[in-house]
Parts: sequence; C-alpha cells; structure tokens
Amino acid sequence: MSDSTDERTPTPYVESPIIMATVRIITPFVFTFGLFVMFHGADSSGGGFQGGVIVGTIVLMLGMAFGIETTRNWVGPKLPVGLVGSGVLAFILIGTGPVLLGGSFLEYHAYEIHHASKYGIELVELAIGLIVSGIVTGLFFVIASGMEDNGGETA
Amino acid sequence: MEIQEILILLLTCSGVFFAVVAAIGLVRLPDVYTRTHSASKSETFGAVLTLTAVAITFGGDLSTLKTVLLLVFMFLTNPTAAHAIVRAAADQGIEPWTTEEEES
Repeated sequence: MSDSTDERTPTPYVESPIIMATVRIITPFVFTFGLFVMFHGADSSGGGFQGGVIVGTIVLMLGMAFGIETTRNWVGPKLPVGLVGSGVLAFILIGTGPVLLGGSFLEYHAYEIHHASKYGIELVELAIGLIVSGIVTGLFFVIASGMEDNGGETA
Repeated sequence: MEIQEILILLLTCSGVFFAVVAAIGLVRLPDVYTRTHSASKSETFGAVLTLTAVAITFGGDLSTLKTVLLLVFMFLTNPTAAHAIVRAAADQGIEPWTTEEEES
C-alpha cells in the first residue's frame, strides 16, 4: 500500500465505528451542556466563554469522528464567520439599545422589562458564546489545514 | 448513616487506588500504547468509583443527578478518547514497543 506514496501525503481517513457511535450519542448532550454553562454565567460559575468553547468542541468531535476534510466540506466556510459576525452584531444591538432608549451603553434598566438586567446579561453571554464557538471552529480548521496553505483562506 | 459512611469511604479509597495505578502506569510504562492502556482503564474506573462516592455523599438532590450524569458520560467518553488517541498513533505509524529492540 505504501509504495510510491510520499512520506507526508495523508492517507484517506478511515472512520472508526466506535468513535462515530460515541460522537453520535454525545453530541446533543454536549450542545445542551454548552447552553447550560452559557446561561449559568450570570449567577454561578460558567459563562459565555466556557460555554462557547464547549459548543465549539462539537465541531472538533465531528472532525475526529468523520474526518476533518469531510467536516470542513459539511460545515462550509461561511458558518464560523457567520457565527462570529452574528455574535458581534447581537452584542452591539444589545449594547446600543439602551442608548437609543435614552440610557447609557449596556444600561439594561432602560429596556423597562421586569428582570431587564438579568435577561440582558444572559443575552450578552449568548452572544459571547456564539463568537467563541465560531472562533474555536475556525481555529480548528485553520490548524488542521497545516502549513502548506498560505494563510487561513480555507477556513 | 454509619453504613453509608463506610460505603463512601470504601468507594473513595478504591477510586484513589485505581487513580494511583493509572498514574504509575503512565509514568512507568514504555510507549504510547501501553500508557494509554493503563491510563484509560484504571483512570476510568477510579473516576467512576470516586464519582459514585460523591453521588452518595450528596444524598439524593439535584447534585446527585448531575454527578450521575457526569459519571455516565465519563464512562462513555474516557475509553473512546483513549481509543481515538491510540488509533491516531497507529495511523501515524508509531511502532509498538517490544522486547526485541532494547536500545531505544
């Protein structure tokens, strides 16, 4: 099999049924746990950064189970960028909303909802989680693409 | 109450024992396959036993449920992670350690 193949050419990835089965079972729980950690950031340990990393780990697990190139083609180049962009956009919207309503930046009491501060912090945590999960996904693909490509265009 | 404390103590001590066995194997064994073999089995067992002790200590509230969930997922993911590491090592062409070649 190894005749005439170069030392560094990667062999096509063969899936392991054990890893695939485990990833299939684990993935929804990991996603739920990531959201749980994100929403716990306001009043206990946890937060957007940790939860975002946990949600971003899902793509890492899929990459390990089904092959990195397959996962890269499945996820596509737009999803990580879209996650980061929508997270930043959500944070800016939440932050500048009170300014439009007559308060200062991130002053949640200007929204005049019952627990405005609580819901505002949760939404900001969710936005941070979106950004972090997008960045973790993109970084994984950039690192996995190796040093041959010039820059991170393939992510 | 007394028998519960004895059970917790027993589970914790055996969990610590298996964790120590895993650590000794990780330090003493020669290559990646044997080290993963030692670490995955003993470490999973040690973590599961210790988490069982923690679940009994919490005594039936929400924390017990969380600990049991953690235990189940530890039981699922820990051997799979070891399998993935060893598979990657075999894909990279790392030769298993044998007694024939002593010089490395």
